[in-house]
This record gives sequence, structure tokens and C-alpha cells, in this order.
Amino acid sequence: MPASATVRPEIQFATLEQQGDTAQLGMWAFLVNETLFFGALIFTYFIYRISYPHEFAVAAKDAVLWCGSVNLAILVTSSLTMVLAINAAAQGEPRAMKLWLLATLALGCIFLLIKGYEYYQDFQDKVVPVVNYEAKPGEGSAGELFWVFYWVATGLHAIHLTVGIGLVLYMLLWRIRRGEITPAYYAPLEVVGIYWSFVDTVWLFLYPCIYLVGRS
Amino acid sequence: MTIGPEIHPKRARPLPFVVAWLLMLVLAAVSLLTAFLGMGNWAPIVQFGIAALQTSALFILFMRLKGPPSLKWVFAISGFLWLSFLYGLSMTDYADRRGWPPIQATSGPGFEARQNGP
Repeated sequence: MPASATVRPEIQFATLEQQGDTAQLGMWAFLVNETLFFGALIFTYFIYRISYPHEFAVAAKDAVLWCGSVNLAILVTSSLTMVLAINAAAQGEPRAMKLWLLATLALGCIFLLIKGYEYYQDFQDKVVPVVNYEAKPGEGSAGELFWVFYWVATGLHAIHLTVGIGLVLYMLLWRIRRGEITPAYYAPLEVVGIYWSFVDTVWLFLYPCIYLVGRS
Repeated sequence: MTIGPEIHPKRARPLPFVVAWLLMLVLAAVSLLTAFLGMGNWAPIVQFGIAALQTSALFILFMRLKGPPSLKWVFAISGFLWLSFLYGLSMTDYADRRGWPPIQATSGPGFEARQNGP
């Protein structure tokens, strides 16, 4: 007997719908914390950018624009493939669901590969504070603050994306294989989708902070 | 307030998501363009405005803020409110500081020393 036929609500819930709604609310409560976490980080960025606009503009010119821009398009596209996977789950199309999830997974991995290449370029350009840093003419000591923000923010974002990739893999290799994602109950996939799109929104704000400064 | 046993509606057709995705890509291109137009202080305002628009689309459509359970709105709005408190209260401190933001000289006495670091 397939596991899908035995999906029942946990004992504390009356129905699967109630269980799914609670799971969604739990994720939203977590995301409120994440919003404050990244919000505080971006606030410190604003303070320093207002304090040292010239130095930040000079320092930011070394950010690899094409990497950030391509990665933005990749993440936005991955949010689409994720929501299409959830659509397929709701409509009882397991093959389409798996394909869209694999596409999401691939896009997430491509993002990380491009990010890795960008980090390599950054190391070559000597913009790694403490480890390998050389101040460019005109950026002064405050330029290093920009790069500290860059490494902390993009590093934290990459960790979050890696967690997202892990969650998608968990869905593919465990929950879906066991038949636990059905049109009657696909809340676990929906919750992963909410998290995935949130990680996308973080990049939407990091992009102008890092890549669009001092270009004109 | 209890979470009622609301029935999830059938998922929407993919068209609205595809349209929103295309719009987000167009907005990203516009944001990139503004970086090269010499808009001065307006550039970051437009860029972060675009990011806010894209985020709204993601929150409402892709993250299913629109749809049951409606209690999600309470969480989303509370996050926005707490972020407003964080920014607002912190800015009252900075806005009251004498000499902040520092005057940004691009030449003249002291500029060279500042550029060369402490």
C-alpha cells in the first residue's frame, strides 16, 4: 500500500488542512525573525554608505556586476520553477512536480557556482578583508567596510540558499519518494517554497546594495 | 482567533506566475540601467523601490500571502512593523548625532589623509 494512502493529520490537528495552515504560519513566524536579521544587517550598510558615500562608490566598482545580475535572474527564475512544482503537486502531477523541483535545484546550484567563481575573482582582486586586501586609490579605509558587508551578507545568503537546496533535496529524496506529498496534503513542499522565495527576496535587496553602487 | 479548517483552493493557473516572473526580470533590467544613468541620489531610491515592488510580487503571489490562512497577514505585517521600529528608532539616534552624516569633501585639507586611512 503506498504511503500516500495513509497520510493522516498528526494527533494535535483535526484535519490535514489545519496541519498545513499551521505549518505555513510556523514558516512565516520564522521569516519574521529572518527579516529582522537581514534588515539589521542592511541597516548597518545604509549607515556606513551614508557616512562614506564616496569611499563606498569607489570600493563597489570592484564588485563583479555580471555575476550579481545573472544570479538575480537565476534566483527569480528559481522562484517561478518552485511555485510551478507546488502547482503540479496540488494538481496531482508527480512527474511535473519532480521536474520543476529538479529545475529549482539546478538553478540553486548554478547560483552557488557563479557565486564561487565571483569569490575567486574577488580573491584575485584583493578585496577580501583581513585575508587578502589592498585598498584602491580613493577608497580609503572606509572602503574595506563595504567589503566586510559584502562578505558577511553574501556569505549568510549563500548559507541560506544551501539550506534551501538541502530542503528541496529532502523533499525529492524522502517526502516525495515516500508518497507523502499529495494533492490532499502538499504543505511541506509549500513551506519549502515560501522559504525559497524569501531567500530570493534577500538577494533582491543585496543586489542594489552591492552591485549598483558607483557605476555612473 | 482560531485557525479554521479552511480548504485550500486549487492552485491558480501558471499564467499569473509567468507574467509576474517576466515583470520582475524587466524591473531588474530597469534597476540595472538606473545605475548607469547618472541619477545621483535618486538612483538608490529607484533601485530599492524596484526591489520593494519585486518583493511584494514574491510575497503576495509566489509565497502565497494571498490565500488562506489569512492569519499569515498578521505575521507578514508584524515583520514589516518590527523592521520599521528597528529602522525608525535607530535613525532617531543617528539623526540626532552632531556631525552626522559627515561632510563628504572630495578635495581640500584633510581629504588626502582620510583617503590614506588612519
